[in-house]
Amino acid sequence: MSISSYGPKKTLRAINFICNAPQAQSVNLVGDFNKWNPAAHPLKKMLDGAWLLSVELHHGHHRYAFLVDGALTLDPRAQGITRNDKGERVSLVPVS
Amino acid sequence: MKKTAAAIRQTQPEAPRKKSAAAQNGKVHPVVIYPFRQPSDYSDLEQLYQLVARLDAEKDRYSRPITVMDRKTHYAMEGNKHFVDFRKDTVARHSDILDAWCVDTCQMWYSGLGMAFEKGGPEDVYWLIPGDFNYGTAVGKEVLGRLHDLPEIILELKQDLCIGEIATDQNNSKQLIDTYGTFALLYTWFPAEAQEIRQYTERPRSEFFAIRHSFLREVLRQRWYAYEQTVVMLLQAVFSNKHISRFFVGNISDLPEGRESLASAMQQVERTERVLKTLWRERNQPKTGWTEQYRSLEIQSEQVRRTALSILQNLLG
Repeated sequence: MSISSYGPKKTLRAINFICNAPQAQSVNLVGDFNKWNPAAHPLKKMLDGAWLLSVELHHGHHRYAFLVDGALTLDPRAQGITRNDKGERVSLVPVS
Repeated sequence: MKKTAAAIRQTQPEAPRKKSAAAQNGKVHPVVIYPFRQPSDYSDLEQLYQLVARLDAEKDRYSRPITVMDRKTHYAMEGNKHFVDFRKDTVARHSDILDAWCVDTCQMWYSGLGMAFEKGGPEDVYWLIPGDFNYGTAVGKEVLGRLHDLPEIILELKQDLCIGEIATDQNNSKQLIDTYGTFALLYTWFPAEAQEIRQYTERPRSEFFAIRHSFLREVLRQRWYAYEQTVVMLLQAVFSNKHISRFFVGNISDLPEGRESLASAMQQVERTERVLKTLWRERNQPKTGWTEQYRSLEIQSEQVRRTALSILQNLLG
């Protein structure tokens, strides 16, 4: 067990983001890591209707959300909740 | 333990030891609340103090941990060699012991956080670690491995308060108290704030949290209520638009020695009501006509409390 999740910012880890939205036409990932750019990280629809994307993220804690057909949507399975700079509720993922 | 985050780590590498810029800006002050009733099995505390030892070794990032120990615990156990040895060889070795006469756990928090605050600086973060959980179990060890996220979220994301949330089954007494007591009373006395709090956490009385220096200074200097400090801190955070985060720390349960009986659950609901009433009065006394509103809320609150106690009696009695 490690108590440290601090590390060099160059360290990258692959993180899988999964959004269960079978009826959606598009799902995008927005977060601190892509400056909340809706076009930066589109998810790919899987056969079971879930949307998936693997993203390499730096060490630390990252704020993110899904844009489901353009609507900001929390990740119900996220490990944490916080707010972004606009005051919107967003999800939280730790990367160690 | 099942993964609960959609963002699943593909690898579990050893964490690098080099400090980030965030870590260089502020120190983390761990404050351990030693169990009031000493458990006969020391395995959970041994596991906890392995973490404390590692924190104590990382002096550039963590200040010397503090353990708050009630004098009543000390005197109840002073003839017990196992306890005396554990206190001397483990607790005192890896932390500064704050021996204090405390009327309850909240006073232990107040004393410990206050002592840490006196040593801290503006960029620092204070991290409360309750001692009476089953850290020796497999899930407990995983929780211990996640608790450090709480102060790190404060530092990295510039938050004021980060609440650690534990998962419990629906019939767990803590869950029942919060569902039928805490939130019902919060919605009565502070409806707007209760809605905001519920957007973050289902556990507004969590004993796991980290708090930024400036916010701790605010709450330490305000009136320190005798009970339910996490609820009060959450309310104060919402009143003053502080940055709040919630982080899931895992599935863990408190030790049987400290677990709630029906009587204890009822007492906690009654205490929550007293705190909320007092806080409401303090905030609303300057307003004209507050007494009429107070009486009306008091009638509603009594109904809520009676209903909560009736439900708890059916479920826990």
